[in-house]
Amino acid sequence: MNPIAVIVRKELHSYFNSAVAYIVVTLFLALTSVWFFAVYRFAARDFASLRGYFAVMPFLFVVLLPAISMRSWAEEHTSGTAELLLTMPFSELQLVLGKFLAALLLVIIMLALTVTVPLTVVPLGRFETGEIVGQYVGTLLLACVGISLGQFVSSLSRNQISAFLISALVLLLITLLHVVTAVAHLPRGAAAVINHLSLLHHYHAFERGLIDSRAVVYYLLLSVGFLYLNAKTLLLRKWS
Amino acid sequence: MIELVEVHKSYGSVKAVDGVSFAVDSGEIFGLLGPNGAGKTTILKILTGYHFADSGSARVARQDICSHPLSVKQKLGYLPENAPLYNDFTVAEYLRFVARARRVPSERQQRRCAFAIQQCGLQDVVQRPIAELSRGFRQRTGLAQAILHDPEILILDEPTSGLDPNQILEIRRLIRTLGRSKTVILSTHIMQEVEAVCDRVLILNKGRIAATGTAAQISAEFAGGERFAISVIAPAGTDQRVFDDIERLAGVQHVQISRLERTVRISAEVSLEPPAATGGGQDGSAAEPDLRNAIDYDAGAALFDWAVARGVRIAELRPLRRSLEELFVELTR
Repeated sequence: MNPIAVIVRKELHSYFNSAVAYIVVTLFLALTSVWFFAVYRFAARDFASLRGYFAVMPFLFVVLLPAISMRSWAEEHTSGTAELLLTMPFSELQLVLGKFLAALLLVIIMLALTVTVPLTVVPLGRFETGEIVGQYVGTLLLACVGISLGQFVSSLSRNQISAFLISALVLLLITLLHVVTAVAHLPRGAAAVINHLSLLHHYHAFERGLIDSRAVVYYLLLSVGFLYLNAKTLLLRKWS
Repeated sequence: MIELVEVHKSYGSVKAVDGVSFAVDSGEIFGLLGPNGAGKTTILKILTGYHFADSGSARVARQDICSHPLSVKQKLGYLPENAPLYNDFTVAEYLRFVARARRVPSERQQRRCAFAIQQCGLQDVVQRPIAELSRGFRQRTGLAQAILHDPEILILDEPTSGLDPNQILEIRRLIRTLGRSKTVILSTHIMQEVEAVCDRVLILNKGRIAATGTAAQISAEFAGGERFAISVIAPAGTDQRVFDDIERLAGVQHVQISRLERTVRISAEVSLEPPAATGGGQDGSAAEPDLRNAIDYDAGAALFDWAVARGVRIAELRPLRRSLEELFVELTR
């Protein structure tokens, strides 16, 4: 068995043996549907698009992704099992990737369960399949950023709650960074740069079903960066 | 098999290990002994690659741990101070995970898990969640994890902590059995453990080596030479030199002399310094017997030769070995 797969399997075992995974998935499904049908009032609009459905996801991610990732390293460090993992024949990168992929799989399962919503509404109007695909791709990429950030913060922390709060805060900040440019009067160049650093700014393209290469590159860059920092943190701890 | 050279490690301003060097041969059971905070755990963490030393080198099977972490880790079984267990796993699930993580070939996993379960006496709790296990079972599950993949080298940090006396004996027996084919390094602060299990010991104090060798060597070295209780029977009115020799070795206060009708019985606790490395007089003439003859030196034999040369008979000759426990207290105070 591939070493990364060994970790993925162990992580999934932990996820599904604890309540967190079930709570997160249930909350996500319930809140997105309540929003879409009751608040956004999809049925009252003459608009064959799931834009409203996906628009709320980044905000739920700010809270729910840190809930998934908070325990990943913090708990290993408090219970002493980090010592086991790090003295087993795994490289730091394999451990980080294993944990990341397991959390990503959980998010994929979560997103797969939302398919019932498109399946319900698509027969009601002329929906673009490409748009829905783009929306899912963008959401998944956003989840990559959130998970890798959350797990990196978790590896810096010994406490799950502080890992949760800090990653939620940081995720909120980079999600809504573009709001700064709307409030403050900034030079055009600076404003553009800040806009491009905002997750939500890029997500707007995905929301409309556009797979914008700038957005894809930015999300992937952030994810890879956090994964790299996570692996380096594990290595640096050895010198602590 | 394992080699540490001038290893230093500090945590912040605390010097945990301060210039420790030692080597462990393959097939040896090596004990690290010291009070809490002496640096035992730190040394084990460095050996397993969990922490890096600030300076100095640590090599396992001729490979540096920092530069070849994966192949070194492949050879190790490690039980940290607190058994590293996943509470949401059952014992069986946990061992299965360890088997996969340690890259035990899938066809052997079943057999190795069964072996570890049996050796550590876990048969009754295999299907229980680890969270529900008592301290003793947790410790034994940790040990099962360490021996599961049949590693060449076992590193055990206080393997018997939290166990009851019967379990302690079982685990020591297991370690000795495993030690026949493996290199074992264990840390402990229990003296009997070292005397019962280890071939060689290193006593640590405040991050430095206080003593190293076999239990017998350490007691000999730090007792100021080997000590014997000796009684000799000499003819009455015997040569003053017999008394002088004994007094020189023992100090007057320890000598008991009982005069009988035709003989004198002299009892004393004597201590013999091992011979100086340079050798010294080797002729050992009958006129002036040399108690420090360097060739194939044996303190008991030297005393015997001395008695023969002086023409006295040995009635009692008993080695006095100070327990490691006394020494430990003295060395680490």
